[in-house]
Amino acid sequence: MGIRWQKPIFKALAIGLFVFIVVGPLSSVVLWSVAIKWYWPHVLPQEIGLAYWKQALGLQRDWAIAAVSIWDAFKNSMIVSIVATVITMALAIPAAYALAKLRLPLKAVFLLLFLMPKVFPQQPIFVNLLPVFTRWGLAGTLPGVMLIHILVCLLFGTWISTSAFKAIPESLEEAARSVGATRWQAFWRILMPLAAPGLLVSTVFVFVTSLTEFTGTFFLGLPFVTTLPMLLYSASGYNMQFASVLALVLLVPSLLFMVLTERIFRPEHLGSLGR
Amino acid sequence: MRSGRSEVKRRWGGASKLLPLLLLFPAVSFVLVLYLYPLFSSVIRSFTLGAQSPTFANYLKAWALYKKDILFTVEVALLGTFLSIVLGLALACYARISRSRAARFVNSLSRLTIFLPYVIVGQMMRSFLAPHGFLNVILANMKVIDLNSPIQFFNIRGLLLGFLWKEVPFVSFIVLSSLQVVDERYLEAARSVGAKTRHIVLSILIPMIKPAIIVGGVLTFCTIVSTFTLPYMLVTESPTMVTVDIAHRVTYFRDYGVANALGVFLYLLAAPMAIYYLRRMVGEEIYGY
Repeated sequence: MGIRWQKPIFKALAIGLFVFIVVGPLSSVVLWSVAIKWYWPHVLPQEIGLAYWKQALGLQRDWAIAAVSIWDAFKNSMIVSIVATVITMALAIPAAYALAKLRLPLKAVFLLLFLMPKVFPQQPIFVNLLPVFTRWGLAGTLPGVMLIHILVCLLFGTWISTSAFKAIPESLEEAARSVGATRWQAFWRILMPLAAPGLLVSTVFVFVTSLTEFTGTFFLGLPFVTTLPMLLYSASGYNMQFASVLALVLLVPSLLFMVLTERIFRPEHLGSLGR
Repeated sequence: MRSGRSEVKRRWGGASKLLPLLLLFPAVSFVLVLYLYPLFSSVIRSFTLGAQSPTFANYLKAWALYKKDILFTVEVALLGTFLSIVLGLALACYARISRSRAARFVNSLSRLTIFLPYVIVGQMMRSFLAPHGFLNVILANMKVIDLNSPIQFFNIRGLLLGFLWKEVPFVSFIVLSSLQVVDERYLEAARSVGAKTRHIVLSILIPMIKPAIIVGGVLTFCTIVSTFTLPYMLVTESPTMVTVDIAHRVTYFRDYGVANALGVFLYLLAAPMAIYYLRRMVGEEIYGY
């Protein structure tokens, strides 16, 4: 008899715990970002205000507030991510077209090459690129960081674009070719318009990945190139409020991406965002 | 314009065997130079010490110095993967079977965490799990703990929580997309002969979606083994993850030999899972998860 009312209670507790575990860390950074004074054992901040936000966004300069303007890092992040996205997609789209639509010798080898970085650790790669980049004068420079971001993003860019091309039935292109269209025409008039939404997802994914890239920039960019994730990392050591503001700023692109692509996003696109 | 077109047409028509290679060339050469070359050099350097080569000295030193961390990494990866699969599966089955609003809410809430990068998760966990952070303060106010001896999370506990925070919804997402394909009539038929939810999950749903579960587990395992950001930001005690040791070895000692020996260890740890995954993906040409 007891089981009948125990079950819904257990269910409610499980759901409540789940929601708390998901929302808890999020609300913790939201609260810290507006906390002026928050000492334990208080559950909520004793004094709240936007001082850290204002200082981070460059709206005020107060030596008592341990935060710097984020605009320099933001500018670096934007330059790196835009350039990295453009070059990544310029490399990825032709490769994806070849992988998805053309007959290819050694196809398995190429597929393997583009998949490997996803399952094998990338950190040793970055570590070993450091002496190479130093020799080439690229360590600690914006172009060096761009190269690393392209490397990290190329896998996702190629992969999502390939599945975008792959999703278009072979018959459509064949039909176009049978009425006299060249491969070039079929590509631009048939394939591209149909693949466009998938390629857009791919591009946005690459952009967000680059914007939040940490490990590669850490090894090859620091201490000279400060992107938003690097600023967040260095702030997290000394100032909870400023680090929380940065975490929330960095959260925006990921959330926008999620909202924008919710409808066209499929599991195969997921890969491993933000790793 | 016209001559350009016809030239392109001729070239594309005539060189159709070369075309795919030409299209792949830029991306592939990029990956060869910046990925495969450092990958090989990391393996070679792990067997090099000064003028000595090949030598196992780096491996012996790595094992002597970081034995605890190596075992810790294995432990976190296995435990994290196991828990991600169990909890992710439970979450997905709940979302699939229950048609309630609560189930839909839980499902879309979990989706949120998949997209956040580990650098943000690291910061969140740092503030949430700190000795006098949000969680400990809440627990203290509920009289569960005493704030003078708060629960320490900057160790395996926090690490697992941080990984699970992202990986449970990830596994659930992959599994759920397979579950959605399962025909509702199977479930109805099972229910009509009196099967309980537990039976439906164990003997119908799970066997049908086994591949998705395995892929989710493999990717979770590889992620935990490879991630540097979260342990670097979160763990303040020893033992820690091998990725952190690699960074330490390189930034403080410029000791590429031991760092690469540790790197090769990570490759080997990921290899069984990774090879399974790669064979499956390449073999079936799945452009997917």
